[in-house]
Amino acid sequence: MSRIVDGVTRPAPITVEIDGAMIPAHPGETLAAAMVATEIYRMRDDRSGAPRGLLCNMGTCSECFVWIAMEDGWRRRRACLTPVEDGLRIATHEVPL
Amino acid sequence: MIDIAIIGGGPAGQAAARQTLAAGLSTTMIDEQARPGGQILRQPPAAFAVKGWMAGRLYRPLRHLLAQTEADTRLDWRGSTSVAGIERIADHFRLTLSGAHGGTLLARRVLIAAGCYDMPVAMPGWTLPGVMSAGAVQTMLKSQQLVAGQPIVLLGSHPLLLVLAMQILDAGAEVAAVLMPQTYGRTMRAALPHLAGAMFAPSPLIAAGAAMARLRLAGVPLMMGARPIGFTGDGRLEAVDYAWRGRTHRIAAQVAAVSYGFLPQSDLPRQVGAAVRWARPAGGWETLCDGAMRSSVPGLYVAGETTGVAGADAAMAEGEIAGIAIALDAGAQPASDMARAQARRARLQPFIDLLRAVADPRDVWPQATPETLLCRCEDISVAQVEATMARLSPMADASAVKHRCRIGMGLCQGRSCEHALVRRIAAAQGCDPDAVAPFRVRFPARPLTVDEIIG
Amino acid sequence: MTHEVLIIGGGLLGCAAAWHLARAGLAPRLIEARGINAGASGQNAGSLHFQIERRFLEPGGTAHAQGGDIVRLNRLAIEEWAGLEDQLGRPLDIHMHGGLMLAENEADLALLSLKVARENELGLPTQLLSGAEARDLVPRLAPHICGAAWLAQEGHANPRILADAFADAAKSSGASIETQSRLLDLRRDGDHWQATIEQSGQIATARARHVILATGHWTARIAARMGLNIPLYLAPLMMSVTDRTAPFLPYLIQHVGKRLSMKQTDDGNMVIGGGWASAPQKMADGLPDLDAPPHLVPDNLRANLAVAAGVMPCLRGRSLIRSWTGMTCISADQLPIVGEVPAAPGLHVAAGGSMFTLGPLLARMLARSIIERAMPEEIALFSAARFAHLNAFVVPS
Repeated sequence: MSRIVDGVTRPAPITVEIDGAMIPAHPGETLAAAMVATEIYRMRDDRSGAPRGLLCNMGTCSECFVWIAMEDGWRRRRACLTPVEDGLRIATHEVPL
Repeated sequence: MIDIAIIGGGPAGQAAARQTLAAGLSTTMIDEQARPGGQILRQPPAAFAVKGWMAGRLYRPLRHLLAQTEADTRLDWRGSTSVAGIERIADHFRLTLSGAHGGTLLARRVLIAAGCYDMPVAMPGWTLPGVMSAGAVQTMLKSQQLVAGQPIVLLGSHPLLLVLAMQILDAGAEVAAVLMPQTYGRTMRAALPHLAGAMFAPSPLIAAGAAMARLRLAGVPLMMGARPIGFTGDGRLEAVDYAWRGRTHRIAAQVAAVSYGFLPQSDLPRQVGAAVRWARPAGGWETLCDGAMRSSVPGLYVAGETTGVAGADAAMAEGEIAGIAIALDAGAQPASDMARAQARRARLQPFIDLLRAVADPRDVWPQATPETLLCRCEDISVAQVEATMARLSPMADASAVKHRCRIGMGLCQGRSCEHALVRRIAAAQGCDPDAVAPFRVRFPARPLTVDEIIG
Repeated sequence: MTHEVLIIGGGLLGCAAAWHLARAGLAPRLIEARGINAGASGQNAGSLHFQIERRFLEPGGTAHAQGGDIVRLNRLAIEEWAGLEDQLGRPLDIHMHGGLMLAENEADLALLSLKVARENELGLPTQLLSGAEARDLVPRLAPHICGAAWLAQEGHANPRILADAFADAAKSSGASIETQSRLLDLRRDGDHWQATIEQSGQIATARARHVILATGHWTARIAARMGLNIPLYLAPLMMSVTDRTAPFLPYLIQHVGKRLSMKQTDDGNMVIGGGWASAPQKMADGLPDLDAPPHLVPDNLRANLAVAAGVMPCLRGRSLIRSWTGMTCISADQLPIVGEVPAAPGLHVAAGGSMFTLGPLLARMLARSIIERAMPEEIALFSAARFAHLNAFVVPS
């Protein structure tokens, strides 16, 4: 477990759905943090199909763009800036319309 | 219409806000993070409670400033918001925002205090998941309270790695190795001319010394003169290769934290037409300003790393100067004295020069191979870029290369590859990087979805 | 140094003309102030649009009478584009899989049927499709799209690589192509033109029997320096591109009643434009700065994207990665001006509208007019002579 436990109090975990799998996350965490904490380092694939992951964790590099389910379809958002919330569904591949 | 929009909630933006708020100016602060602090004090989520967070003595002035900022109810704080566009219309500015406070914002004056980002350095295997910037690993620690992975290898030329190593140890995790390509001898030679002056601001030096002692005590191998070669792994990082004392070594890693320096965030100043120059020695574009932090665009001010990477203390001082200037230019009364703030900034310069000299990455770059991707968004390799440059006339600028091979045409707008491309063009033409015309910076500075624009 | 032909401007027109002239053995010299393809030729959205514009439909108007000539030219342009990759011997991302001009309501549809009838009468094989038929072709079109005019030969090409292909071909055929070479002065000298050129800090002169101003939106200003009036006016435009997505749109999309062009590139990005204005930067005296990139006009960006997402709702969720601006020009009567300027024998121009779609054809025609010393009658309606009256009081300097 890579979350620091000593001296840190987090809200009770919720789950978020990534490519159909459920992973735990604490409210307040970013999606990128929840993924890294679960050892999911791949966040998208490049044009050759090779996996890519988080690079800058500050919204600058665009490596962590994932697809997030919204009411009216999927939107690409940066995982490092997206807070987790209950019911969050994300995909690391583009979802066909 | 507000009096002043401050882009960036780090030390520079906060210090400026102290002045503009004291002067009675309506002040809005915009930041991509949910809470103010910047990267240096990237706060944990509001829902977390963290004991002794960033308690170190070095961070005390920054924490004090942050407490003042958060307590000030006059400040219009807009977190979780990106600035995608900035334009000057007649005597004011229009910002296009996306995120929590999306829409447009009109401001009489704008301060860009957008900080810097870890310089992306292309080397074999650097696109493997698990290879991160040192800043990414550090902000995961500071804010999200998690260690990005284990084992973790730190590598690069920037002394920030020593601080990061200590923070990882403090978190109760292990550091497999710190690989720094410059030798002790080179470091000392680089530092020597600056040492006397830097003694006016010695605390970071003492901290660096303490960090090295601490690493030694914890048994962390700190290898000066170890040259990182590349990363290997099947679908994710598994090991780091490096050259050390004439031989090649491989060390297992789940995460690598890379730091060869930092690039000023320059998309917004360039989008609005502010004059910039190639930053020395590490590269990127720093926005030009006068002694009161006024850019070449009337009404636009810059402070902190946007004007050249110099650290949090300098950012605070520059923010204060900018805030005083904004208040004075608006005909209002700032809280502090301009000359004193400028003197405070000037005293920091020897230490900044020392750090830049010690961290200078230029003769210790890792080597990219022809297959190494230079543009991570469009997946354009070094070989493709070199072939395009060879086809073009010797006077080609960055845009000409971009148009022909798509380098820099992806989601990040070239933030990862532009500096490297300009270095390559300069090397090919035998000129200074400053003489190479960079990309034209386009709207939006951060990708936004079509429905965010049309509503 | 004396040349038969000196070409000013290394865009699509200049490079293509250089190629045709070089193949005819005229060894033209081309000078370009910046780099090849640095202007509008590389900044436009790359549409190959051959359906006629609505102004050619207004009965009784001058444009109505020109419809036949325009259709004839468009058909020649279709042939020109269809053969380019073979002639230039390299892939140019040219896709002519068809184009749809959409109707969103009954009024649009009425206009479309009128247009299709007129085009068919003039020999352009457009077809009127129902909304359902249009959606069969492009399932992601909005359900309210009630019809479309279909032309099988429309499409798009990659504007970032075409001029290079012409320039390389021209060089292989004996043309001299010089970048970073700025025209400082151009004047008549007997039966020749004398150009003063700045090249890497050095100033030199060159003489030529023929000069082609393939200088896009700079043309009117360069001509004005010689005292010539060429009625070309600035048209600063903007275009946008989204992130990549899996291929789903092989066609060009336009709108009969609104400004829209939309296509998917080989890389999968959606390019959206359609003639929305950007704002030129101004010089100290208030005149537009022809060398600086125009500013984006956010309201126009919003409007352009709203039109696009209106006909294709899935675009709402795409990420916009870049909007860019560029400058072109339109002529006083919205038709290109191509050929010799009567008041300045030996001086040729080519600018003023549709210069990507028609560019390769017009460059060929212009080259032919110099080689054969006669204007091809196919482009008679573009002749600069129609504006000869503007130079009635000019003493060329």
